Parts: sequence; structure tokens; C-alpha cells
Amino acid sequence: MVAFRNSDSSGRTTGLLLRCVLYSLLALGLIILDKRYDHLGRIRRLLSIAAYPVQVAVESPFEGWNWFRQSVSSRGALRADNVRLQAELRLAQFRLQRYEALEAETQRLRGLRDNTAGVSNRFIVGDIMDVDLDAFRARVLVDKGAGDGVFVGQAVLDAGGVFGQVARVEQLTSEVILISDPTHAIPVQINRNGLRTIAVGTGDSSRLKLPYLPTSADVIAGDLLVTSGLGGIFPAGYPVGTIAEVKRDPAQSLADVDVRPAASLDRSRELLFVWLKPGAVLPAAPSAKAPAAANPASGAAAAPRADAQPAPANPAKAPPAQTGANDE
Amino acid sequence: MMRDDRIRRLPMMLSALVALALAVVPLPSVLDALRPDLLVLVVFYWSIESPRAGGLTLAFFAGIALDVIKGVVLGQHALALTLMAAWATYLRLRLRVFSVLSQSLTIFAFLTGYQFILFWVDGATGNPVTSFSRWLAPVVGAVIWPFLSSALSRLHER
Repeated sequence: MVAFRNSDSSGRTTGLLLRCVLYSLLALGLIILDKRYDHLGRIRRLLSIAAYPVQVAVESPFEGWNWFRQSVSSRGALRADNVRLQAELRLAQFRLQRYEALEAETQRLRGLRDNTAGVSNRFIVGDIMDVDLDAFRARVLVDKGAGDGVFVGQAVLDAGGVFGQVARVEQLTSEVILISDPTHAIPVQINRNGLRTIAVGTGDSSRLKLPYLPTSADVIAGDLLVTSGLGGIFPAGYPVGTIAEVKRDPAQSLADVDVRPAASLDRSRELLFVWLKPGAVLPAAPSAKAPAAANPASGAAAAPRADAQPAPANPAKAPPAQTGANDE
Repeated sequence: MMRDDRIRRLPMMLSALVALALAVVPLPSVLDALRPDLLVLVVFYWSIESPRAGGLTLAFFAGIALDVIKGVVLGQHALALTLMAAWATYLRLRLRVFSVLSQSLTIFAFLTGYQFILFWVDGATGNPVTSFSRWLAPVVGAVIWPFLSSALSRLHER
């Protein structure tokens, strides 16, 4: 700042300094307003509509290339695809036969336990846009936004399992934070024995970790991890990943557990946005959750609100509960 | 005079828009960390060559555009870009007579300052990115600066 003063054409330099200070203060004010208070949501949404053409323009060559590749694929390839898909469909239908009965039974059992935590009710499908947001954060842009009823904190799945949750909603697009983001944590339980814990992202899309398990915990490689439904964000019982490796160091009190995510975090193109079933309530003791998890009030509030017609303004108030660092 | 200004603004807006689009073009994840801050370089170029046409206003609004399109806290890139563009504008007379190498080195200093402000705001708003690879972008930016500035000056003089 001192350097600005001893200049040759002093009038111009003063003007430069003045504008520099003015714009910097404006930017600082914006940062504080955006971070501390929620006033900028509307402005942001308008600005993002202006940015949408740029995003579409960036995406269109890749989209066009995909379209071209698909339209020139040979008859043989299409036939092979068709056979494979039919086989998959047969298998899926076969599995589905028992689904209705199983769901009814689950509901009955959960009713006995007075716990209907997070059963999903309604889906919409969104496409990931070919736009790189940030090299250092695991986030993707999806072509469904507030106009489609998407809200902040909504659970997002792909064909394999849990993918992430909605971090920010614009009018036409939304930003999804992956479960592999280092600031993301998801309440899970081991399918084999019901042991509950928290899975935290590592920044590597092929790895999560379970940092809060004691060395004595009953966990072995190959165990399936499913969502526990605590926290009210993710529906219960969806696969999160399988335990890849358990390292137990006797000198440490906590085990070092690696998880391979079930969702293909770096390959999926289509995502499912999930609404929880109306009247889904949390079990009474959410304090068992770990430090990173939500405060129970906002989590509980998110679930019933999500039911009918999720007005975009309402749930947007609730911060993305499991993104611990965001709240901090 | 008015018309002269307007003629100069077209290449400025055009180059800024292209650079903005290139900031979010998908790249393989290996190259992603190496992606230079093209829009920042473009803003530096116009701050040095014709500060009257765009100057800090261009810097501020380019920063806001980056904030919106990258989905970070509003004002982060705007703050960094405004401060660094002001520095570049202040040094512009000296920069124009520098050799290519010392120009690149100065640009490297600007870009590092820019990254540092981003880093600071990231930390202050609770999303720290501590990976070392974020400091690679200034190096790449300084390396491509001579090519970018000669390309832009061709566009400018036409």
C-alpha cells in the first residue's frame, strides 16, 4: 500500500488506489455476507442463470461427441448391448419379485421398533454436466435445480449406492458433494452386525475411511456398509461401500479402516435425487452420532419437510448437515 | 474517443469470456491441478496494456463470474483478482519494458499472490485446501504468459 503513494503521475495512482480499496472492500463485504448470512441466495441464483449458457457452451462439444459416437455405433454393438440389458433386466425383475413382500415386512418390523427412519419415497434422475468445478474438491454439477424441487441436503444415489448430497441449489443446476470429499461424513452401519459409525471422505474417489472405530471393533474386510438412516439426510439401508482393509495397530486405540465406495464416484453420469417418505421420523437417541454429524433438530426437520412438495426456499435454510467443515 | 474505447473493449470482453469458459472445461484429473488461471492472465494483460479500457472493473466482475461459475463463496476470486490487478496496473510501465523472462517472473509473483489470497479466504471460510498441487497453477501460468500475451497483442492491434 505504501508503494502506491510515491508515484510519478500522482492523480492517476491515487485513483487506482481508491478504486482498489473500494472494490476490495466490496469483495470482502460479499464474502462476509455470503458466508455469515443467507441474504445472497437470490442474487446468487440470478447470477447462476447468467452463468448457465457458459456452462452449456462448455458442455456441448462433449455432449455432441457422445451423441456422434452413439449414433454411429454399429448394429452388432447395439445388438450385444440389447442382449446384455435384457439379461440384466431379467435378473433385476427376478430380484424385484421379493422386494414388495420384503418391504412390507421391513415396515412391519420397523413399526414394532417404532422406527421408520428414512425410507425413500420419490426419485428424480439428473445428469452430471461435463463441467469441472474445482480441482481440489469432490463436487459435481447436475442439471436439476430448485426448479425441479431439489433442496440443500438432499440425498443423491447412483446405480451402485450412495453418491453424495446436494450442497448448493441454483435455479437450473445444483452442486452435489461426493461422499469422497474430505469434508463429507455419512452415518453408516455394518450390515453384518449393525455396528454404527461414520464414514469420512478422503479426497480420493476410490476410498473412504472409518476413523472412529476402536481396534477391538468387530469389522473384517469384505463387510458391507449401508446407510444407517441416522441424521435424517440419507435413507436407511442403501449400500455405501465394502470394507477393503482393516489395519489394527496395537499401540493405537482406533483402527485404520479403508472402505471401497459402492457408487462409481468417478464414472457415473446419471444420479438419483431421493425424497424421504412422509412421516419418516428419527429414532429418539440421535446423540449416538459422531462429532461430524448433524444437530438433531435440523436433521429431524429436514425429513418431514422433504415429503410433500419440497418448496425450494424452506429446506434450503437447513445447512448440509453432514458436511462438518461447511458448518464450522 | 468514445468510439475508440468501444473498439478496444470488444476483444477484451471476448478474450475474457473465452478464458472464463476454459476455466471449467473438463480435463483429466491429472491435468486438472495444472490448469492455469487463464482468466487471471487475461485480466493482467488488459490491466498492463490498456488500464483505461477495463482495469479494476474488469478484474472485479471477472472475479465475480469465476465465483459464480466455480460455486465458491461469492467475492473470493473478486478480492484476489482486484488486488493483483491493481498491483499489475501500478507496475505496468515497468512491466512493458521488461524482458520476457523478467515479465514471466513478475507474472509468477502476481499469480502466487492471487493463489495466496484464495488460499487465505478458503481457510477463513472453513474449506481449507491444503494440497500442494494448488501452487502448480502459478508455475504453468508464468510459463504460458509469453505466448498468451503475444496472442492477445495480435488480437489487440487488429
